[in-house]
Amino acid sequence: MKDSFIESLESRGLTRRAFLAFCGSIAAAIGIEGVTGIDVAEAIEENALIGTNGGRGEGKLAPVVWMELGSCTGCTESFAQADDPDPATLILEYIALNYSETLSAAAGYSLEESREQTIKAFPGKYVLVVEGAVMTRWNGDALRIAGEATCAPGESPLLDVCKNAAAVIAAGSCAVDGGFCAAEPNPGGACGIQKYMADNGVNTPVVNLPTCPCNPATLVAVIVQYLLLGTLPQLNEYNMPEVYYGETIHDNCQRRGHFENGEFVYEFGSEEEAKGYCLYAMGCKGPQTKANCGTIRWNRRVSWCVDAGAPCIGCASGDPRVTQRNWIDFNAPFLNRMKDIHIGSLRVQPTPVALTITGVLAAALIVHGIGMKAAGRTEGAGGPDWEPVREYDKKHGITHGSAAAATSEPAEKAAAEVSEGGEQ
Amino acid sequence: MAEIAHYKEMHPLAFRITHWVNLVAMILLILSGIEIHYPVLGGVMGLARGLHIFCGIVLVVNCIARIVLAFVIKSSPMGGTRETVTDFWNWLPQKYNRHQLGAWIKYYLFIKKDHPLSAKLGVPQKLSYLLIGILILFMGYTGFCLWDVTMNVPFFAGFTFAVGGLMKLRIIHYFMMYIFIWFTMIHGYLALIDGMALPRLMFFGKETGGLTYSLETWNIDGYDDLGAAEKIEIVNKEDEQAAATA
Repeated sequence: MKDSFIESLESRGLTRRAFLAFCGSIAAAIGIEGVTGIDVAEAIEENALIGTNGGRGEGKLAPVVWMELGSCTGCTESFAQADDPDPATLILEYIALNYSETLSAAAGYSLEESREQTIKAFPGKYVLVVEGAVMTRWNGDALRIAGEATCAPGESPLLDVCKNAAAVIAAGSCAVDGGFCAAEPNPGGACGIQKYMADNGVNTPVVNLPTCPCNPATLVAVIVQYLLLGTLPQLNEYNMPEVYYGETIHDNCQRRGHFENGEFVYEFGSEEEAKGYCLYAMGCKGPQTKANCGTIRWNRRVSWCVDAGAPCIGCASGDPRVTQRNWIDFNAPFLNRMKDIHIGSLRVQPTPVALTITGVLAAALIVHGIGMKAAGRTEGAGGPDWEPVREYDKKHGITHGSAAAATSEPAEKAAAEVSEGGEQ
Repeated sequence: MAEIAHYKEMHPLAFRITHWVNLVAMILLILSGIEIHYPVLGGVMGLARGLHIFCGIVLVVNCIARIVLAFVIKSSPMGGTRETVTDFWNWLPQKYNRHQLGAWIKYYLFIKKDHPLSAKLGVPQKLSYLLIGILILFMGYTGFCLWDVTMNVPFFAGFTFAVGGLMKLRIIHYFMMYIFIWFTMIHGYLALIDGMALPRLMFFGKETGGLTYSLETWNIDGYDDLGAAEKIEIVNKEDEQAAATA
């Protein structure tokens, strides 16, 4: 069996060495103590023997349904762009990807049938990967797949798939928080899959894997962990795997040294940019964004945004629970240090608002100070006179202490007596 | 001669020190905070961050120390008297201030002509100082939510989650800086507009003579020139003697 697996790898242009190296990196990515590259290799081998009778339990491949909703297909692209068989596509082929609009060979009725059959044959056992935002507007008619309102509230083909899945993996930021589709004014009523399920009372576990597009290594690692251990990674409060979304971009950034040294790019096309200085002043959202982009990198570890010279725009920083906290609304404008704050329909940066209030306050204090001087209350003008008795006390005839008839007289007398003494 | 006498009992040494620490820490925090928000100066980001975190911790510790000291140290409830009470009483509603909030507001709006009688901390003053104490602690808390070393501690991460993320928290933290700036502008203005006696006392511990206040009658009851008249008499006598011998 083993030989046939290796043969199968080799027939796809993948050496044994490359495969094991890949498994090692997946094991590291999963980050569970005691899981080694060998375990990963075995899991893949046992579960994923295409064309043989192997796999977990008599040739049954782990079934996966991939729903593509309001998206640019960038996540599929990110996942499947390989021009020769590479580990990511290998994994994809070794799971039973029963339904994927982009990747499935079938189309039309036969493909839709395959989805329905998967739900029937493996209820509670298949993994659902969601790509793109859930488009809910116009009773779900904002997005129609195979003639049906896919994302209608209440009851929909999407909810059927969600209900019966073992787990839902939201691949990419649109599936997590609605992403670009949900950015204001959000005409299609887009939201993330977690919110859609919560709104419709479906509580299948969700794993959110943001970034735009979804990082293939992260997605593969989650799927492999599920195949390997039957578990999902440990999630943080946003249902994102802690191990990938626990540290900020900033903490692992290759330009961090320049940040600490205070070497910044202030303008694109400048000398500082050519030197590869820190992009913080260009609005980099790295310090506010928790993701592993800088370490896991993209396109087979060739590069990532900051390496390519672009500031992080915070594509992993959306909040899956609230639609208008999607990462676009959360970070725009991308090249400013902070997002715009919303005052009614006005979009303004925090600094001008704060400086305006400061200016108004300063002007008010100056005017007040002139008034105080004019009223003779300042030191040079002699200072204010003290009220002889509290107004409230006077009104209600209240007196205090044994000297019940306290008036201003003693004070005035005392002041007059020592006036020749002057102030020290 | 309408200033109240400024005695050391009004602002004992320990509180003058915490006030100095507040002032220096806040100035450094604001300057380094502006640099962190947007690096106006090149080359000093590491310094700004280190200083910001250090001063932030100092400010929080100082605030807690000030609160603890309020239960230990005595201070006078009003200028113009050397009688003292345990300091925390001065932070609670006091009889000397009763029904005086309106009087203070009217005074500052020039509707009321004469200076309201009150405790050392007038009503709006007391409210704003209490608010600043809470703000310092809250500012420190949001600072720890943003600091990479502590951001994942559940005590802080939970709040970041409730607020809706680090970006929102940054804006809150940034905006609160302006609340400190606004407070300090008003605070500094009101402290200075009445003359230099208060800053002289608060920063350098120098007393200034003036009207005295009776805690019994809740009112002005005399004038203390800190012995200036006697000193002048002595000097005059010496002059006379000198003239006589000459």
